[in-house]
Amino acid sequence: MKKLRITLQDVVPFAAFIVIFLFFTIMSKGRMLSAFNLSILLDQSVMTIVVGCGALFVVAQGSIDLSVGVNLALTSVIATWAANAWGDWLLIPVALIVGTLVGIFSGIVVSRFKVPSFMLTIAMLIGIRGIVNFIQSFIHTQAIPKSMGILSAPYIKYPAFVIIIIALGYVFEFTKVGKYCKAIGENETTARYVGVPVSLMKVVAFAICGLTVGFGALFSLSSNGGTSQQIGLFFEMRVAMAVFLGGVLVTGGTSAKLYKVLLGSFSITIIVNGLSLIGLSQTQYSQSIQGLLLLLILGVTILASKKIGKSAAPADDEEIAGHSEDQTAKA
Amino acid sequence: MQKLRSKQNPPQEKHNNQAVFALLLVAVIVVISVIFNFISGGKFLDGTNVVIIISHIVWPTFVAWGFCFLFACGYTDLSVGAILVLGSFATAIFGSLLGYPGVILGGLIVGVLLTFLNFNIFAFTKIPSWIAGISLAMIYEAVAVFFKVNKATETLIYTVMDKRLRILGELPWSIIILAAGFVISYIIYNKTTVGLNIRALGGNKAVAKALGINITKTLLMVGLICGLFIGLAAIIQQSIAGRTLVKTGLTSINMVFQPLAIVLLAQVLQKRLNIIIAVPLCSIIIFAIFNLMTIMGVPSGTLQEAFLGAFLIGFGIIGQRGYKGVVK
Amino acid sequence: MNQENMLEIRGLNKYFGPTHANKNLNFSVKKGEIKGLIGENGSGKSTLISQIAGLYPSDSGEILLDGKPYTPRSPIDANELGISIVMQELGVIGSLPAGVNVFLGRTRQFTKNGVVSLKALNKAAADVFEKWELPKVPLNKLTDGMMIETRKIIELARALSVEPRLLLLDEITQSLSMNNRNKLYELINKLKSMGCSVIVITHDVEELIRITDTITVLRDGEVVGDVVSANTTPDEIKHMMVGREISGEYYRADMVPDYGDDIVLSVSDLTVPGEIEDVTFDVHEREILGFCGLSDSGIHTVGKAVYGLLKPSRGRVRLNTRDLTVKSASQALQNSMAYVPKDRDNEALMIHASIHDNFVLPSLTELQAGVGYLAPGKLRKLAQEMTDKLSVKCTDIYQAMDALSGGNKQKVNLGRWLAKDIKLLILDCPTRGVDVGVKAYIYSLMKEAKKNGVATILISDELTEVLGMSDRLIVMKDGRIADVIGRDEDFTEQSVIRVMI
Repeated sequence: MKKLRITLQDVVPFAAFIVIFLFFTIMSKGRMLSAFNLSILLDQSVMTIVVGCGALFVVAQGSIDLSVGVNLALTSVIATWAANAWGDWLLIPVALIVGTLVGIFSGIVVSRFKVPSFMLTIAMLIGIRGIVNFIQSFIHTQAIPKSMGILSAPYIKYPAFVIIIIALGYVFEFTKVGKYCKAIGENETTARYVGVPVSLMKVVAFAICGLTVGFGALFSLSSNGGTSQQIGLFFEMRVAMAVFLGGVLVTGGTSAKLYKVLLGSFSITIIVNGLSLIGLSQTQYSQSIQGLLLLLILGVTILASKKIGKSAAPADDEEIAGHSEDQTAKA
Repeated sequence: MQKLRSKQNPPQEKHNNQAVFALLLVAVIVVISVIFNFISGGKFLDGTNVVIIISHIVWPTFVAWGFCFLFACGYTDLSVGAILVLGSFATAIFGSLLGYPGVILGGLIVGVLLTFLNFNIFAFTKIPSWIAGISLAMIYEAVAVFFKVNKATETLIYTVMDKRLRILGELPWSIIILAAGFVISYIIYNKTTVGLNIRALGGNKAVAKALGINITKTLLMVGLICGLFIGLAAIIQQSIAGRTLVKTGLTSINMVFQPLAIVLLAQVLQKRLNIIIAVPLCSIIIFAIFNLMTIMGVPSGTLQEAFLGAFLIGFGIIGQRGYKGVVK
Repeated sequence: MNQENMLEIRGLNKYFGPTHANKNLNFSVKKGEIKGLIGENGSGKSTLISQIAGLYPSDSGEILLDGKPYTPRSPIDANELGISIVMQELGVIGSLPAGVNVFLGRTRQFTKNGVVSLKALNKAAADVFEKWELPKVPLNKLTDGMMIETRKIIELARALSVEPRLLLLDEITQSLSMNNRNKLYELINKLKSMGCSVIVITHDVEELIRITDTITVLRDGEVVGDVVSANTTPDEIKHMMVGREISGEYYRADMVPDYGDDIVLSVSDLTVPGEIEDVTFDVHEREILGFCGLSDSGIHTVGKAVYGLLKPSRGRVRLNTRDLTVKSASQALQNSMAYVPKDRDNEALMIHASIHDNFVLPSLTELQAGVGYLAPGKLRKLAQEMTDKLSVKCTDIYQAMDALSGGNKQKVNLGRWLAKDIKLLILDCPTRGVDVGVKAYIYSLMKEAKKNGVATILISDELTEVLGMSDRLIVMKDGRIADVIGRDEDFTEQSVIRVMI
């Protein structure tokens, strides 16, 4: 029987969730809990959770994908245009393919060219947003084909969501792919020395993330009926918040677990939703709170992981002497 | 005794004549200018355009100089854009209260304080600088919007500075400030104990510590120095533009990109040319490219951004050539 | 205390975690003495002089300088008392010019109004070079593009600029060319004539005898010999360095090579630039093939290259059982090969993950059911079985690795591979930092694997270990194979040391 090891690191995100939930429930005088609002909450979480679960593979390795927002936008625009131009049914495959391709590109640059993932994906954030704006400057917003509107029907959307999450969860927790990603996050050198195909795994993780962006695009297109000037704006931060608020460390590794994405997604959705319920819907409120919360949670989880002796970086005096057991062997 | 060649024996010592290389770069700029001028049918080297170029490269150059110190420690601060916005506010507000001294004080104080605060967060919590910077950008942007919320006009919120106070944005002041910035950054980076210690720290922390360099003190100085340059950049930026766009949604990161591209390019050239000298030259080159695009009608906000992203990725790839360690 | 002694050390102890690097050392240096310090990898030499240089504090014992207690809190303290060091690892900042590197950390003296006068600094640096007749170095250039030798000379200039009474040199001669080495010897003698002392660490025994007055030999953290250079021989020194009592049945009882005829692995002309050259050998079924040599002999590189972790510029590693050429580690993993790295904490194990996670990682492919499903029960079973079989002392299999002792960590390091059906096992220093009981256990595991048909490559710094366990022994020196000895031949230390050092 597996003993449940509860550490500070695990407790803080749960505690944060409860505090956030209670706070907004009270402040909104219970409106948070109305059936109507709960269904809105669920709806708003769907995209975040799906892409969050994809991003989990990347974060588990210790990397990050900040281009998911623009990827979503690009994928939506291209898929809608393809569906309208060449055939309604193309919406789904094109969305999935474009999203995945962008992911593969990121994965290759990170693994083969050794560009840090945050820098690469931020560069893509800027670059691809530029491309999307360019395309939209003459295509403008488009509506998805009528027949594809059926994707937003609850009896299609929710089962699809559940199936996707289960599939991702399965791959992450019960197959080699997930385990290898976590190993890379724990210690990339160790993974390499065992014989884990590290470069391939990096590409795979980014590709999976891109694939979930494709799904996210479909969810977004179906609920909005088409594209807009605003698609994907700030979405990457939403996904990042979902992952980190749930308690996944920036270094990933075994701290990366699927349930944390669910927890974090609900936390962030409640915050944004709750703020608008109490009349503070302008972005500056949600953004400042998100910024502060992110710093807080990251700081605390990193600190908590160090207390248990789980520090990634060696202490300063070990660095100077350069000593580890290895060094003394050279003496 | 046959000894194998030592592992890291680099090839013949490189040409290190910096003056020659700098002149080479200037020559490149001249050649590019002529070509661009030709492509744009004479508009590139037109008087007003040249003024535009010169005045617009000043604040990114200052930010890039600040980044040189930050990068030397391995940190990347993405909240600089938001700090510039807040700094611009301070410049405008203090300027209208106190005149010129206000202009200078406002920008400097805000720039230095916030950069220093950021730096403490980077150095003393273990949060990776890139994400700490993003979180801070989110907070600072929101703060900026809070400040101006009562003057809101839809999504564009701006603050205006009186025209009479904006002299620092005009020639010849821009050039004077640029020259002053160059002298100050060159001296600090190359000729002060603190600058040398910062570079030692960034080069090899273990060695620096073994040589008795006080790590904590040096780190704090980096925060201050970087803050100085960011503060100056805020003053200049506000002086030129006269107003600042304030938005949330991490749009401030766009402001950081040009200086980031400049520093990355300068880093690539670092072996041949002192990075402080390389920065303004790279600044001219990069801005010239975007300036040409604007003249040729490539819309900003769309394709120009696409190019910027591509440049960053390209410089990043070139800069990481031969890197053997683990990269996340 | 002996009045002649400038430096006297009594009962010095230093621990790095569980490793006892310096054990009750007594050590002294007279005024104007050139003292040699030598020992195998892991003997504690660098640790000793690092403490003298103030790089880190001792755990217990006392150091007296000119009769007064000496407890430097940093290298700066040491410098002020006239002690400076040239470290073994490269100690210059590549992104700074050479002249600055000489005075880095002490640039205040050249500062006027906050600005460092590079002219004054470079002049002072040039003066140091001239005073000690060091070959000229372009002081304005960044050290980044310079050869290793030049960088070492800059470090030497830095150490000398302090006007040291005691100069510590940690393995610098190997980076210097012949004539620079001679210049160094002259420099050392000059210091001696000035009444200053020098401690020299080097692997070159002949050189050591030639240039020093006395030599101290360390082994396993202890002083095993203190001799006058003029009265000793290279053989005597070498013997003190590596000689050990071979105790008990811990290794193998037989003295006959015992392996099958089938060749499991063929390595030909393996070359990794700068590390190994033209390495060719075969490994047979049931064979334990030992590799020994000094730290720069390339033995560790061979292990990595065979497992596909390094790309050779020339040569081939052929796994005959599967008829394929090994080109990557993931190929090696998929083809019943195993690699146990030397650096347990940084390269071998995921130190913050659980025992369970570490045990199952190499076996994930084999543990898959259909559709790639990894049943948690199956993984748990493997981890639990291995933990029980190897008696890994822990609270349970979900405990984090960093809580375990070195010996238990090593059981996991090795055990995770033994859980698989492997044909070739590569071991790099498998009993390093591990207590006697666990050592014996690991040897028994090796013997068991041998019986089961596994071919083993045993790479080790410990001569007695490879002599005790190998069927054949390959001795490497300077990146090449120096000799191959069979177990039934002259399998003694003498024959090996002669070739190895």
